[in-house]
Amino acid sequence: MEPLILTLGWIGLYAPLALGAVGSMIGCARAGSAACGALLEVEGGYGRYIGVAAMPSSQTIYGIVVTMALRRDLTIENAPGIFGLGILVGLAMLYGAIALGDACASSINVSKSKLEVFGISLAPAALVEGFSVFAFVFALVLAAAIPK
Amino acid sequence: MAEPYITLVSSLPYLTSFERAERSPITQLRLEQRLHNLEPGDAKQLAIAEGLISWRMSLAKPKTDKEMVLRYRAAQQEISQPALREFIEFRIDQQTILAGLRQSKTVFESAFLEQASGASRWAAFIASHWDIPDFKLAAVYPWIPEARSYLDNNDACGLDKLMMSIIWRRLSLIAESNRFGFEAVFAFVFKWDILQAWLARDAVQAKSRFQELINEVKNDR
Repeated sequence: MEPLILTLGWIGLYAPLALGAVGSMIGCARAGSAACGALLEVEGGYGRYIGVAAMPSSQTIYGIVVTMALRRDLTIENAPGIFGLGILVGLAMLYGAIALGDACASSINVSKSKLEVFGISLAPAALVEGFSVFAFVFALVLAAAIPK
Repeated sequence: MAEPYITLVSSLPYLTSFERAERSPITQLRLEQRLHNLEPGDAKQLAIAEGLISWRMSLAKPKTDKEMVLRYRAAQQEISQPALREFIEFRIDQQTILAGLRQSKTVFESAFLEQASGASRWAAFIASHWDIPDFKLAAVYPWIPEARSYLDNNDACGLDKLMMSIIWRRLSLIAESNRFGFEAVFAFVFKWDILQAWLARDAVQAKSRFQELINEVKNDR
C-alpha cells in the first residue's frame, strides 16, 4: 500500500506542471492558429496578435510555481495531500489554458476587423485568467499546510 | 466541439449586412485561395451545395424544377455534414414554397406536385392546401404573407431582399453554433454569395440575362 501512496504523491507533485503545460500547448495552438489567420487579413500590428496568442502560456508558469511549492520529501503522511492538491490544481490549469486559448482566438478574430474592440475583447480572457490565478494562489496557501 | 478551421475563419474578413455593404470585402480569387485550407471532403461538399443553392448566376445551376429535384437527391447522398444538410433542406423548403406561391394562380396543384415532389417535405402539404394563400404554413414560415404580397405587386427586388435577409439570419445562427468549425466557413461562403448577388444587381444586365434565358428556353424547344 505504501508504494502506491508514494506513487500517487509523485503524480500529484508533477501534475500542476504537466497538466498546465498540456493546457498551454492546446491553448497557444488555438490562439496561435487564429493569430496566423488574422495576419493574412490585417496590414500591420502583427505583434499584438502574436502576443495575445501567447497568453495561455501563463498556466505553465503557475504550474511550475505550484510544483516547486509542493516539493518536499514524500512520506506516507504528506503524499495523499500532495496528490489531491496537485491533481486538482493541475486540472484547473489544464482547463484554464484551453479556455483561455478559445477566448484569445475569439478576441483575435473580432479585433482583426474592428481594432477599437481589441482591449474590451480581451475581457473574457482576463476573467478566465483570473480564475486560474485564484486556483494558483489558493494552491500555494494550502501547500503550506501539508506536512513537510 | 471540433474547431478545425481556426486559421481559415480568422483569415476571413467581417461581412457587413448585404443591405448596408457598398463593396465586397474579399474578392472571389482571394476567397478561393483561403478555401484551399478546407479538408478535401469538406471542400467537395461545399462545392456541391454551392451548385445547388447559391444565388449567383455564374454557377451552373439546375434550370428546371425536375432537374433541381434530381440534383438535390444526388446531393443528399454526397453531403454528410449535418449543418450543411440542414441548411440545404432549409433552402429547398424555401424555394419550394416560393415556387408554390408563384405557381398557385397559374397551374394546378397536380402539376406543381409532379414537379416538386421528392424535393421538399412540404410539397404534398402545399398541394393539399393549394387554394389557401399561405398554404397553412404561415405559422412555420411567417414570411409567406409578405412574400405573397411582393409577388402580387411584382416586386422582385423586395422579394429577393426578404429571402436574402431570412437566409442571412439563418447563416448567422449557423456560424455562431461553431465559430471556428466548418459551419462558420460555409456560413461565410453563402453570406458572401448573397452579398455578391446583391451588389451585382444591375437593371441592364438583368434584362440581357432575361433575354438569354428566353433564348435558352426557345432553343430547348
